[in-house]
Amino acid sequence: MSGLGLADVSCTIESGQFTAIVGKTGSGKSTMVKHINALLKPTSGTITVGDHQITPETDNKNLKPLRKKVGMVFQFPESQLFEDTVEKDIMFGPKNFGFTEAEAKAAAEKMIEVVGLGPEYLKKSPFDLSGGQMRRVAIAGVLASDPETIILDEPTAGLDPVGRKEIMDLFKAQQQKGKTIILITHNMDDVANYADKLMVMHDSRLVGLGTPQEIFNDHELLEKNYISLPQSAIFAEKLADKGFTFSKLPITISELTAEIKEQIHGD
Amino acid sequence: MMVTSLTKSISEISGNRDTNLSNDFFLPKGEQMENIISIKDVFYKYPGSDNYAVNGISLDIKANEWISIVGKNGSGKTTLTRLIDGLEECESGSIEIDGVVTDEDTIWDARKKIGIVFQNPDHQFVGATVEDDVAFGLENQGMPRDEMITAVDRALKMVDMQDFKKRDPQSLSGGQKQRVAIAGVLAIKPQIIIMDESTSMLDPEGRKTVINLIKQLRTEQNLTVISITHDIEETQLSDRIIVLNSGKIVKDTVPADLYNLGPQLIEYGLEEPFTNLVAAGLQDVIDFDGYITEKGLIAKLCELNSKK
Repeated sequence: MSGLGLADVSCTIESGQFTAIVGKTGSGKSTMVKHINALLKPTSGTITVGDHQITPETDNKNLKPLRKKVGMVFQFPESQLFEDTVEKDIMFGPKNFGFTEAEAKAAAEKMIEVVGLGPEYLKKSPFDLSGGQMRRVAIAGVLASDPETIILDEPTAGLDPVGRKEIMDLFKAQQQKGKTIILITHNMDDVANYADKLMVMHDSRLVGLGTPQEIFNDHELLEKNYISLPQSAIFAEKLADKGFTFSKLPITISELTAEIKEQIHGD
Repeated sequence: MMVTSLTKSISEISGNRDTNLSNDFFLPKGEQMENIISIKDVFYKYPGSDNYAVNGISLDIKANEWISIVGKNGSGKTTLTRLIDGLEECESGSIEIDGVVTDEDTIWDARKKIGIVFQNPDHQFVGATVEDDVAFGLENQGMPRDEMITAVDRALKMVDMQDFKKRDPQSLSGGQKQRVAIAGVLAIKPQIIIMDESTSMLDPEGRKTVINLIKQLRTEQNLTVISITHDIEETQLSDRIIVLNSGKIVKDTVPADLYNLGPQLIEYGLEEPFTNLVAAGLQDVIDFDGYITEKGLIAKLCELNSKK
């Protein structure tokens, strides 16, 4: 096993884009995103986030302005709830970043609605909520500080399909408001449906970067088994074995059904 | 002579199949159709809550059965499994594990028969190294050290984590942690394994490894599998799917019957099977009625493609 968590990674993530990061368990996805808000610092190399530079020498002091800009939703964020009311929990981040009590309260009132829970939840204890509701509260807590970039480490793991779609749509809406979204996921259908760009990690290295359409049609990445395909592409491959022809693999259901219709009608 | 007797035994087998193709045909006598878990009229309400999380559930689960429990977040799935494992006590009703009604005195024995793999891998570590962690349950059972080392190695090998045994569990990624947690459960050789959305954190390959492993163990160790899941593919492996809604069982059926429900599946916390969604998108070119298998859909499309 390599001792490096990340090996020679260089890339640019454009602001305002929805970037997905995929790769097998242990490939370096989480390690990489933790460098973006300096939870980890590089052994060598530089990370630039807006005006901030993170180097091996970066001091742990003065990281607050960076961390206010880059919000991070960890895996199972609900395990980090600790206050006795939902409201206090959501207010914790904003207050930590210098919001006044009134500003933090206003942010909590706004964000509880954004994540699809009503204001009646603010006075409840987070520990009386279901897992899915707790997840939403934790996400509201990160959004409440109004970060420019939101990093999400498998935010929908364990949610039911309705909950998953609502949460993914919520992040898409945040992107449309101008936020930069960076999503770690194993769900290739979510990548196909939501991401503008896709990064592929393998053995601590960045092995692919492009649009989902480009990456899912990259034969080398597929042959080396560095990525798996969305369901629509897998289905298209099966049809291709039976005489259908696809110049490019469709990656969403609407692309797939459009292709099939075209071929059946012989256009 | 030999030919005759061979023919006879084949006809006996096929005769049996025709009339009664049920699980008990494959089980040794004495274990036929035995309930490993029997839940009767169970009610449970969390302290301070007005609503019953489990609202009058009765359910029998047979030894070696693979049951999927599905339902939206908050429908009572996890509460039901916590009641089965005695982590919560029923307000009324009873739960029998392997023929014994669980109460304060019997729950400790019952728990030895049940292994739970939880959803959140960070909530289940106690050891400083991966191997210590897997050994924890065995130490509690007082297993001699040399046996324990073999058992731990075997369990880690099953989940393909043997190379990590000296590592600190906290240094592992989410998926790796989950595989170690599963090894910890497997090491104590339970009769019942409850998977509480425990593959939802794994990458597709890790998920496949774990599911295949559970499939194999179910046969080898005569395990009963209770799987709480939102994954439609995972439910296809089960003998029966139980749908919970607001603490009640609203469906108890075989997978294909459930998939026929189409868009209604979403109300049960499941996604529609992928083939249903594709067929729905092609409604103006193919007839679509209920659940369609992948094979069926491909055949239909090929037929249309050859006619053009």
